[in-house]
Amino acid sequence: MIISTEETKKGLTYNIMEALKQQLKEQIIEALNLQDTKPSDIDDNAPLFGEGLGLDSIDSLELMVLLERNYKIKVEDPREGRKILQSVQSMAEFIQSKQVA
Amino acid sequence: MLNKCYIQATSAISPQHTFEGEFHTQPFVASTRNLLNVIEPNYSGFISPNNLRRMSRLLKIGQTAALKCLVGSEFPVPGAIITGTGKGSLHDTEKFLKNIREYEETALNPTPFIQSTYNAVNGLIALQQKCTSYNNTFVHRGFSFESALQDTLMQLQEGVESVLVGSFEEMSEEHFYIKGRIGHWKEGATNETFLADNQTTGSIAGEGSAYFLVTAKPASRNLAVIEGVEMVYKPTTEQLGNRLQKFLAQHGNPTIDVLLTGENGDANFAHYYQYLHQQFSPSTTIIPFKQLCGEYDTASSFATWLATEILVHQSLPLSLQAYNTASLQNVQHVLIYNNFMGEQHSFILLSK
Amino acid sequence: MGERVFITGVGMITAIGDNVAQNLRSLQAQQPGIGYTQYIDTIYQSILPVAEVKHATATLAAMAALPNGGEGFTRTTLLGLIAMREALANANIEDASEVGFVNASTVGGMCDTENVYFDIVDPSKTGSFLQYVDTLDCADCTQRIADVVQFQSHISTISTACSSSANALMYGARMIKHGMLEKVVCGGTEALTRFTINGFNSLKNIDKQHCKPFDHQRNGLNLGEAAAYLVLESESSVKRNNSTVLAELSGYCNTNEAFHPTSPSPDGDGAYEAMQKALAMSGRQLNEVQYVNVHGTATLNNDVSEGKALERLFGSKVPKFSSTKPFTGHTLAAAGAVEAIFSVLAIQHSLIYPNLNFSERMEELNISPETQLLENYTVDNVISNSFGFGGNNASLVISSAQL
Repeated sequence: MIISTEETKKGLTYNIMEALKQQLKEQIIEALNLQDTKPSDIDDNAPLFGEGLGLDSIDSLELMVLLERNYKIKVEDPREGRKILQSVQSMAEFIQSKQVA
Repeated sequence: MLNKCYIQATSAISPQHTFEGEFHTQPFVASTRNLLNVIEPNYSGFISPNNLRRMSRLLKIGQTAALKCLVGSEFPVPGAIITGTGKGSLHDTEKFLKNIREYEETALNPTPFIQSTYNAVNGLIALQQKCTSYNNTFVHRGFSFESALQDTLMQLQEGVESVLVGSFEEMSEEHFYIKGRIGHWKEGATNETFLADNQTTGSIAGEGSAYFLVTAKPASRNLAVIEGVEMVYKPTTEQLGNRLQKFLAQHGNPTIDVLLTGENGDANFAHYYQYLHQQFSPSTTIIPFKQLCGEYDTASSFATWLATEILVHQSLPLSLQAYNTASLQNVQHVLIYNNFMGEQHSFILLSK
Repeated sequence: MGERVFITGVGMITAIGDNVAQNLRSLQAQQPGIGYTQYIDTIYQSILPVAEVKHATATLAAMAALPNGGEGFTRTTLLGLIAMREALANANIEDASEVGFVNASTVGGMCDTENVYFDIVDPSKTGSFLQYVDTLDCADCTQRIADVVQFQSHISTISTACSSSANALMYGARMIKHGMLEKVVCGGTEALTRFTINGFNSLKNIDKQHCKPFDHQRNGLNLGEAAAYLVLESESSVKRNNSTVLAELSGYCNTNEAFHPTSPSPDGDGAYEAMQKALAMSGRQLNEVQYVNVHGTATLNNDVSEGKALERLFGSKVPKFSSTKPFTGHTLAAAGAVEAIFSVLAIQHSLIYPNLNFSERMEELNISPETQLLENYTVDNVISNSFGFGGNNASLVISSAQL
């Protein structure tokens, strides 16, 4: 079976993305001390704030610390932070965009 | 002069079995060293998991004790929340100082900074109970709880129906070490030995949180009455004696049935207690309380809680049986005298 | 209830002046005190502007006229002592033994202890730093000030974050009204620290430029350091002693928002209630308020919340208002007392201070702060706001002195 290089690339990106999201979920649980939550409980696209995990603005600051410590990404503007921290998916996409850049 | 107030509910988290069950019949909890830590309760019945997850130890202790007091009263949303703490959350202060150093001032977690704020506990109590009225926190060593109590009496006189007043204090291992460097603790002592040796300096460290829901008028429970509070700053023994006489005269010179005294085994301050004790006739039963809670800025709040227990039960709890005398009956007035490091001296008078 | 409470002495030291007269001159000259720190050891030295008092700690000790050269005194205490001496002199108090003292602080002697803390916790280190072991808590500065100027009556210390000294003024005034004291000095002292700079920075609340209160482009606060004290005196004491009255503390209120540990509610419920009740206590009407010295930290949340509260309270007739924090920085525990003195000066000198650095109205609000220095503007009643963490809101009403 022949797999095009394009597809291999896609698959790799896919796997990296999945691994990143898994890692993020574990880091979020640890950073915010979400004791009774397992990574599998967090849906990629579920909102982290308000309804979803019930996080608040202090948690959003803690998540910005997480990004800075673990991924060397600094979010200066809290308004920008809100967009990035919408969900695990949006966080992962942001991290990847920064790392590619 | 400020009017008295009526205690409708109390709570205490301390190194003794004061939080759950009936303290009166619980045995004395002996310590193995010169530091007494509180018996931490199960917080989950009081604070939701989502709030509990980032709270530090003192915040949990302070908020849980407050909520227990409110839950047990008919005033779940008090007219004011007033607290005293000498040191606030030491763990958070230490943690933020260390984070600043470890991470070289970059990417710091905000939570310990927020929680190191002295009024963080007050804010949380107000938040949980949706209490939007008066809220204040006093932070003056051995006057912290006393000032909160004075503010409480003022609020009640100004027309507020009910006030939650209390204190919270913790002793971290690090702070215990720091204060040990300037001789605050008695080497090798425990809460069973430190009082017997007042020829050497130092005491035993403690911590705790106690709250009172008080009202201006009698209500349904009226566990005891707080008649008044008096603070005396750095007095001589004679000045202290004069202020005691004046304070008692203001309250009609009651017969003091029990004097709860803050003596702490420290030779530097023993003369104050000796002088004070001489002011009372043999009919006053003099009982120390720091073997139960240790020495800390707001230990007098524990004594106030203990005085309420004695007035309610009209007898000494099991943990104080060693001090019991046959004459102790019909307890009408309990006076607390305490000083913190010889600087802040206070009297709190309670009645049945 | 109780006697009227008058202000009969003021003293202060801030980044814009070592005493009240210098502060007034800087306000009139529109000279802000914000720059980069000379004295704090921080990686943000040339990144985050602060409003620092322009003297080294040793110089402050000399200014505080300490006989022992200030050994063991923290910067917090020294700032406080300088302001205290001025306030007592201004009120002609020579014997302070019967005068009460209600102090305020948020981090006590952290300014000095943070530099020696890791030596203090290191068993292998020993030395003179051990004299700072007991200076970290908030009572240290209160007691050292009390002992130097010989306060022997009531002393206490309040810590409710950024509203601390407004609450100290309130508590002192209430003690007078209860007849417990005739005179009481109230206020607060706050030195800049690495701890608070990093703390507010971890909240992403510090602007890298000069702060822009009530501006659409505002991006946080600048921290400052200061000490400020006001002598409060009962009406009967004023009459008996023929004291010179500077102004009246005619109303005050403390409320709690019960909304969030660090953020105000978007509609300013707590701020609204504090202002409304303080004004009701003063017996003044809305249209008698000529000036509001707003808390105006220039954080995203505060200014929306406080602005909404102003609009709710005053409707379409919001009086002149400005934040003086672009002059002094946010001086935390001292802010309430600093701004109470600025309110007294506004009344005495018929001034409205400009809200510096403002250019663009916030989209959430229909009001803008005053941007010009207004002179010969009659001011009889000022509302001064101080809002803090833990939802703690305090409003004071300061009125022209009419015995």
